[in-house]
Amino acid sequence: MDVKARKYAAVLVVEDEPLIRMDAVDMIEDAGFRTYEAGSADEAIVLMEHHEDIGVLFTDIDMPGTMDGLKLAEFVRGKWPSVAILITSGAIDISEESLPVGTVFLPKPYSMALIIEKLDSIAVQLG
Amino acid sequence: MIGQTATSQSVAILAPHGRDALVAGKVMGKDRIPFLVVDDLKALANLVDNHIGAVLIVEEALSDPSSDVLKSSLAAQPAWSDVPFIVLANGSAQSRSDKAKSRIDMLSNAVLLSRPLHAEELVRSVQSALKARRRQHEARRYLEKLQERERQLYESEAKFYAIANSVDQMIWSTLPDGFHDYYNDRWYEFTGVPEGSTDGEAWNGMFHPDDQAYAWQKWSHCLKTGEPYEIEYRLRHRSGEYRWVLGRAQPVLDKDGTILRWYGTCTDIHEKKVAEEQRQLMLGEMNHRIKNTLAMVNVMVSQTLRRAESLSDAQTAIQARIGMMAQAHDRMINAAWAETHLLDVVETALSPHKTDDRRFKIEGPNLSIGSKQALAITMALHELSTNAFKYGALSTQYGTVHVNWSAVQNDGCATFRFGWTERGGPPVQTPTRRGFGSRMIEQALAGYFNGSAELIYDRDGLIFNLTAPMSGLT
Repeated sequence: MDVKARKYAAVLVVEDEPLIRMDAVDMIEDAGFRTYEAGSADEAIVLMEHHEDIGVLFTDIDMPGTMDGLKLAEFVRGKWPSVAILITSGAIDISEESLPVGTVFLPKPYSMALIIEKLDSIAVQLG
Repeated sequence: MIGQTATSQSVAILAPHGRDALVAGKVMGKDRIPFLVVDDLKALANLVDNHIGAVLIVEEALSDPSSDVLKSSLAAQPAWSDVPFIVLANGSAQSRSDKAKSRIDMLSNAVLLSRPLHAEELVRSVQSALKARRRQHEARRYLEKLQERERQLYESEAKFYAIANSVDQMIWSTLPDGFHDYYNDRWYEFTGVPEGSTDGEAWNGMFHPDDQAYAWQKWSHCLKTGEPYEIEYRLRHRSGEYRWVLGRAQPVLDKDGTILRWYGTCTDIHEKKVAEEQRQLMLGEMNHRIKNTLAMVNVMVSQTLRRAESLSDAQTAIQARIGMMAQAHDRMINAAWAETHLLDVVETALSPHKTDDRRFKIEGPNLSIGSKQALAITMALHELSTNAFKYGALSTQYGTVHVNWSAVQNDGCATFRFGWTERGGPPVQTPTRRGFGSRMIEQALAGYFNGSAELIYDRDGLIFNLTAPMSGLT
């Protein structure tokens, strides 16, 4: 229904802070992507299981619940290897080694322009 | 009386009858031996009391009935003293009666000289007696020095115990191998264990199980190397609670550098340690809140700019929203760090818009609310109020706003309901364009409460409802 929606794969935005999530979703949709949103890793996995069109996972690390963003990323990498993963966090001491292979890390606060650029290049790779 | 006086270097002569006293005096005088002549045993007893150097006495003077006086004076001598007597004998020893013998024995330290007197014999006997007497005085001085030293030692030890037991710290001491053999009273007061029960190595059992191995390792290292010991650990208080203490110890060395003993202290640092932990916790919480606030400001600015009709509108809205967030922050700082109450939050959020008390009706229990939820509801109320002033009930002369909330049971679940109802404003029309306010309320607010929110554009006035589980408030 969004006139700007293109043939791009959908982006799943996982962020426990509702306002930040709302803003991220707005920006990503404005860039022409369809989005799904989740406030926790558990919600995210349910969405992943029901929506095959999700091609990108964009997740925060610091989230309440049994699974944080890192664990979620590892789980998704294992179960859906073709899904591209973008990870963000306000914590400064995230080492590259702790991230699942092939993921992109963006420190918070992130520039939306940078995220859109990353999403666009991922979209090109995904076709 | 310490030291030798004139009396103590003199010879007392008692020879009441005949010429013996005179002859003896002459002999003494010739050899410059100081002497005193006394007339009876009473006078002699007095000189014994005054530590006379030696006594020259004729045997017959001992048979005087007042010999008991001398006897008791001799018996009363201090431990170091035994006045030497030279007794000028009557006749030969073979013919002496038992009674006469016992009288000489009574003198305790006596030699017999037979008469008639031979001058050289007498002088040598007297000099030998005086020399022996001087040795007694030397022994006395030595004894007194020892006693003084012992007294000083006792005083010094008493001083140590007084100091060791007057400080707030626990004090302990060990042998060079680390065997504990001393604890001050404070240790026993703190731990409540029986005296002596932590001697040797039993102290380790008083430590928190998680600290025992580490403390033991550190102490062993210090014993081996002689390095000063310093450690923080939890020590079992007599109440059963473990309290943080700072342990310190250092060795006392002899002049060759060999360890003689270890002396150590334990200082109760529990309050300080707990305060430090709380400070860290508070710093962490503050850091978290500041980051959260900045993230909110970031989103608010981004959203406002995206949806504003003009840059000047955006500027006004951003300033008002930042002001509102600063106020909400004040509210949360002033309230206890962990707990904020909903009534305070609502009152504070509405206060800039409450120019007239009759326009607002606020009703609801004073529920506890988390800091995130408090900020979210403050933002929502700011948006609703601003909108009501511009377009809604507060834009007319008599319009009112009813804000109410409650905690109710709904299908067995404790449910929180929050409502905003406007009446008396101009007829409401559903907007064609959604601003930050309505987006925030409809999409984000519910997320903070884990519930659902709706804006109803009722013709008679705008209505906002939030429904959430009670658990979503914190």
